[in-house]
Amino acid sequence: MATVTMGPLFHHRTSLKPIPKFQLISTKPPPFHLNCTLTPSSPFNGAIFSRYFKASKAVSSTGAAVVETLESSNVTFSENFKLERAQKVEGKITVRFDCGKNDENCWRLTVGCGLPGKWILHWGVNYIGDVGSEWDQPPLDMRPSGSIPIKDYALETPFQRKSAGGEAFSEIMIEIKSKSSVAAINFVLKDAESGNWYQHRGRDFKVPLIDSLQDDDNVVGTINGLSTWPGAVGQLSNKLLKPEAAESKGEDIGKLNLRSRPLQGFYEEHSVFKEIVAFNSLSVSVRHCQEKAKNVLYIETDLLGDVVVHWGVCKDESRNWEIPAEPYPPETTVFRNKALRTLLQQKTEGDGSCGSFTLDEGLFAFVFVLKLNENTWLNCKGNDFYIPFSTSVVPHRHSGPTHSEVKEEHEEFSSPVISTDASKTNQADSAYTDEIINEIRNLVSDISSEKSRKTKSKEAQESILQEIEKLAAEAYSIFRSSQPTSPETDVLEEEALQAPLKISSGTGSGFEILCQGFNWESHKSGKWYMELQEKASKLSSLGFTVIWLPPPTDSVSPEGYMPRDLYNLNSRYGNIDQLKVLVKRLHEVGIMVLGDVVLNHRCAQYKNQNGVWNIFGGRLNWDDRAVVADDPHFQGKGNKSSGDNFHAAPNIDHSQEFVRKDIREWLLWLREEIGYDGWRLDFVRGFWGGYVKEYMDSSEPYFAMGEYWDSLSYRYGEMEHNQDAHRQRIFDWINATNGTAGAFDVTTKGILHSTLERCEYWRLSDEKGKPPGVMGWWPSRAVTFIENHDTGSTQGHWRFPSGKEMQGYAYILSHPGTPSVFYDHIFSGYQSEISALISIRKRNKIQCRSTVRIVKAERDVYAAIIDDKLTMKIGPGQYEPSNGPQNWSLAIEGRDYKIWEAS
Amino acid sequence: MEISVIGSSQVNLGRVNDVGFSNFSRNLNSKNPTAKNIISKGSNLGQNQSFVWPSKSAVGFIVRACASAQNQAVVSEKASRISRTKPNDGVKLYVGLPIDTVSNSNTINHARAIAAGLKALKLLGVDGVELPVWWGVAEKDAHGKYDWTGHLAVVEMVQKLGLKLHISLCFHASEESKIPLPQWVSQIGESDSSIYFTDRSGEQYKGCLSLAVDDLPVLDGKTPLEVYKEFCENFKSSFAPFMGSTIMGLSIGLGPDGELRYPSHHHPVKRNTHLGAGEFQCYNKNMLNNLKHHADTSGNPLWGLGGPHDAPGYDQSPISGGFFNENGGSWETPYGDFFLSWYSSQLLKHGDRLLSLAASTFEDVPITISGKIPLIHSWYKARSHPSELTAGIYNTVNRDGYDSILEIFAKNSCKVILPGLDLSDEDQPTESRASPEFLLAQITSSCRKHGVEVSGQNSSISGDLRGFEQIKKNLLGENGVVDLFTYQRMGAYFFSPEHLPSFTRFVRGLNQPDQSLDDLPVGNQESVEALPDKNLQMQTT
Repeated sequence: MATVTMGPLFHHRTSLKPIPKFQLISTKPPPFHLNCTLTPSSPFNGAIFSRYFKASKAVSSTGAAVVETLESSNVTFSENFKLERAQKVEGKITVRFDCGKNDENCWRLTVGCGLPGKWILHWGVNYIGDVGSEWDQPPLDMRPSGSIPIKDYALETPFQRKSAGGEAFSEIMIEIKSKSSVAAINFVLKDAESGNWYQHRGRDFKVPLIDSLQDDDNVVGTINGLSTWPGAVGQLSNKLLKPEAAESKGEDIGKLNLRSRPLQGFYEEHSVFKEIVAFNSLSVSVRHCQEKAKNVLYIETDLLGDVVVHWGVCKDESRNWEIPAEPYPPETTVFRNKALRTLLQQKTEGDGSCGSFTLDEGLFAFVFVLKLNENTWLNCKGNDFYIPFSTSVVPHRHSGPTHSEVKEEHEEFSSPVISTDASKTNQADSAYTDEIINEIRNLVSDISSEKSRKTKSKEAQESILQEIEKLAAEAYSIFRSSQPTSPETDVLEEEALQAPLKISSGTGSGFEILCQGFNWESHKSGKWYMELQEKASKLSSLGFTVIWLPPPTDSVSPEGYMPRDLYNLNSRYGNIDQLKVLVKRLHEVGIMVLGDVVLNHRCAQYKNQNGVWNIFGGRLNWDDRAVVADDPHFQGKGNKSSGDNFHAAPNIDHSQEFVRKDIREWLLWLREEIGYDGWRLDFVRGFWGGYVKEYMDSSEPYFAMGEYWDSLSYRYGEMEHNQDAHRQRIFDWINATNGTAGAFDVTTKGILHSTLERCEYWRLSDEKGKPPGVMGWWPSRAVTFIENHDTGSTQGHWRFPSGKEMQGYAYILSHPGTPSVFYDHIFSGYQSEISALISIRKRNKIQCRSTVRIVKAERDVYAAIIDDKLTMKIGPGQYEPSNGPQNWSLAIEGRDYKIWEAS
Repeated sequence: MEISVIGSSQVNLGRVNDVGFSNFSRNLNSKNPTAKNIISKGSNLGQNQSFVWPSKSAVGFIVRACASAQNQAVVSEKASRISRTKPNDGVKLYVGLPIDTVSNSNTINHARAIAAGLKALKLLGVDGVELPVWWGVAEKDAHGKYDWTGHLAVVEMVQKLGLKLHISLCFHASEESKIPLPQWVSQIGESDSSIYFTDRSGEQYKGCLSLAVDDLPVLDGKTPLEVYKEFCENFKSSFAPFMGSTIMGLSIGLGPDGELRYPSHHHPVKRNTHLGAGEFQCYNKNMLNNLKHHADTSGNPLWGLGGPHDAPGYDQSPISGGFFNENGGSWETPYGDFFLSWYSSQLLKHGDRLLSLAASTFEDVPITISGKIPLIHSWYKARSHPSELTAGIYNTVNRDGYDSILEIFAKNSCKVILPGLDLSDEDQPTESRASPEFLLAQITSSCRKHGVEVSGQNSSISGDLRGFEQIKKNLLGENGVVDLFTYQRMGAYFFSPEHLPSFTRFVRGLNQPDQSLDDLPVGNQESVEALPDKNLQMQTT
């Protein structure tokens, strides 16, 4: 009989349409991630449930009670909740290289992707005889149909969808005529929907067609390098079907006879992970049985696997969790006298689970959250699920949530992992939203509980309060940015009054001009520190005040961005002593030195008992507690990441006090031992800016800046004019650091790309007539740049429009913000022009807080007046400043740019 | 009394909830695949406006006027409920728009922020907003040349959202937001400084015209009253379509900052920090003539030669000696009474002139007219109430100065706007001997006596809980004298994370004061408990 209680008859589903989910302000991740693949229920669990079944049937008294319930009860509550959680899906990228059509001269590269979604292959080739590793466009006969050339060095080819046994699978086939002069094919995968890139060990996939290229460690189809590569993507599942790899090396690249050795086919697979949002539903109904004075609550969900209901009851209008009187449903345990945990019963169809709870009349409500495993909890949009019981029992009910109590309770029962993580994530993403949303949520839920019988749609309320939150945030940001009383301006005025400028780690003196002192190849010589030392006086004479040196630590990758032993400063750039000499030399010539510190991730030195690389070595011999829990590669035992994950190495869990203490000490050590003056912080998207504040407060750098790099927003392949969302994310990060660090103005770079590539100079003015990048909102914390070791150099991931670099420099070196000049540009034909721009900036005392008045932003020309001292224009169009109160004299003129000084 | 969905959505959060949420859920159950969310809008507008909320998400949030049969049913039910309720048993909540909403060049400043802010307020359940209409903006260039474009645009924005609007006609300047008097008026003032208030040292206050010139043809042959009247009439005709539907109330500027007082504090000092009680502002030519005439006719010609010679200066403590001395000060002498009576009567007459001007101009449109009186709480505990005296309110331990003021409000059927509902005695520096709470109690009891309704305002936007608690106490504990509260003002701070949550809590507290007990620090509960038979559901008029 018990089964009848659970039958659909009483389970009155209101079929709610999904409410559009508003993604507000920033990309706020759902509060809880499901971070493990769901494990199918074990037979053991099934057995438990069948016992439960028998028990219910056997005990006749309960059975009878249930029957009565059936006959006289009525549904007092029924609601369907939508459960949404981020879920990582594992898939494979397959690379097959084989001989097509059994023709020795026609080879085929087939790249497949087993993840759902729209995939694009972003690829290019190296030609025989190319120096360096820059990409080139493939020859025409290699381009599959539907390919779109991306500038002059890459091609984007959409994957063709194939369905293989119901699984989403897409692939691309590229045919290679053996007569072609292609030396290697390079590619990365791009998710067309999210814009995410999928690389191979943090770099491009590379398929060599000639032998000599096979010693690069990002080469696929060879075995070399893998054993020395702890924790990289490729390690997980590489099935190498090409056992023989390079045997003869060192031959001269220039010679065509290289190709005489026959090509060999191979096939390999790489694991990739993609985060997708999984939707499940949960329905709850309550029946009230007057004769028995019981409420019967029925929960049903289509979540697979074991679902534990972590629950309690409210005995009055406060939302305090209490434990009801026994009896409890089977498979219930008491959790720390605070709550009950009941394992739901798997449905016979195997497509979910369900359970019923019989409770005494007179209780106010049933409160619960769902627990899927130790780390995965599901709640109702950040709150407990709150199921009110029949209001006929208590005619007038306030659901008075004494807010703080609910919170306390929540934190007590949920594992600390979650509560801390949730709060951090929120702070990281938008310090703004959560404070308000909690308040408003209470507000709305108060109202709604009052009217709960009329309006039950929590989703509707949720969307209203999210809308309020969004609108308020929007209004706030506009008011703030358009009001002269904004904090930034206040600071500006204050500081302008003070004769000696206040040094803040977010700005330095305000007059800094930065040099990125390396490129992607700098590690190759093994003596970069010594080479750079010779250039110190030159850099100083060019006017640079700050230099950013490459990451100094022991690293798995030669460039230094995969750090291992943080206290070992012998790197491919030189040893620790050479570094000290370099820093000393730079100080002698008056240049401050920034160390490139990688705090987001760290490569392990040892495996744990499962063979996963997550035990660190060296002086900071952390274990897996220092690794974030939400990257399944590395089986971290820390909390979840407070930011985005970098998947190629274990991400450090900065919420652990011991980790932060060690990092603080390490930074201080670097300051003292090496003499670094400040920091360039790598991949700060990966952790909360509040931690950066802590590190800055303790290490007291002269200047610090973070790399917060994510995608701009595009629509129909065109970059949107309004990039406020993008710069808001950077702004929010700076804000989270409390302004203790600046950030690279990626927004400005992106907008310059579109501006220059398409001749759309109107893009350089935002809707309020200010610069459209971070520089327009928080100039003193914007580190402007046009190129760095990732975007340009030999990686070329996002290269500045070729030939237009000087327009870019004319822009950033005349505008507020702290401009950064890339090494490759300094030591190029541009040096004299860059030098001239820097000296104009210096003699006019243009600084990070200078004011910009945009006087022209049209199709082919942009002009602005900075601090009433400089007028600049870029673009092919005509612009001449009018001589009014000031007389303008031309200070520099170059290709499509001019700068005038007030005289 | 309006009878419409707006009426209901205007009421309070609960009511908004009624309308908005029930439609939400209904729509959720509908088969509409595009998941449009329908919010009912003012059906009395008779428009089928729809707009898309700017949203960064792919799916827009579509709000559309809804005129379904179901909705009509809701409307009529609401209407009948409202029409049965008495006007005084609830408090409407408004929020002031930024002072410089309409810029000097007659455009909307930060329009996008205001648009977003208005929507947020609407969703929060705020009933309406207050919009300052500046003389110096709308009649900026020349006498009789009005430009309402900026203000009209704001009113339309407000109307589209189904919010209500209170208009403040500002015949003063705002130093804070750099909004001056009309240029052509300032030009006149340059040649004839007697149109301004003047203090003993001859310094002029150029934030508004002196009340002494109300009826003198100083403005190109017109009297200021005539100019004000034309302004009001032009406003009325320009905004006629909105009167009574969106524009529900209007206040007329009565003096400095719109308040019925003399500008006794020339130099803006930070609130509550000044020690002095201000100075008498009776030293312009016209005031002095008037005083002399008055002295002559009352038989004491020697009393008409100037203001009190022993009145303290701006920065002198008033009760230390001289005119306002606690015991035996001149204020208690026959001369003192003569002067103070005259000084305050000038202000009263000015108030009466302007209120009747507004009442007569707008008598044929269904809006309430109000005027603002100041809450001059510093030195309230001194026997002479020196700050009030210099401001022109003859209120001392011996005399109720507010009674006659509220009499003229009652006579003209005007509402009174009272600021400072957020101020509590505890927060005042002891040396200022201020008591905003007692003063407020005195004024409101006068209001009750004369049957004058009160619209409350706050004086500062600190966002601290105490201020909100004080407002709540004043709103819910005054036996219905306050029927509308205008929270001042929208701006960056208003929407900041430091402030908005407290404001939201405040709105919730107004809606469910019982529950707010939990949030209150111990000791603040009496105000709520003291409410007998409270109808805490706020109602509309």
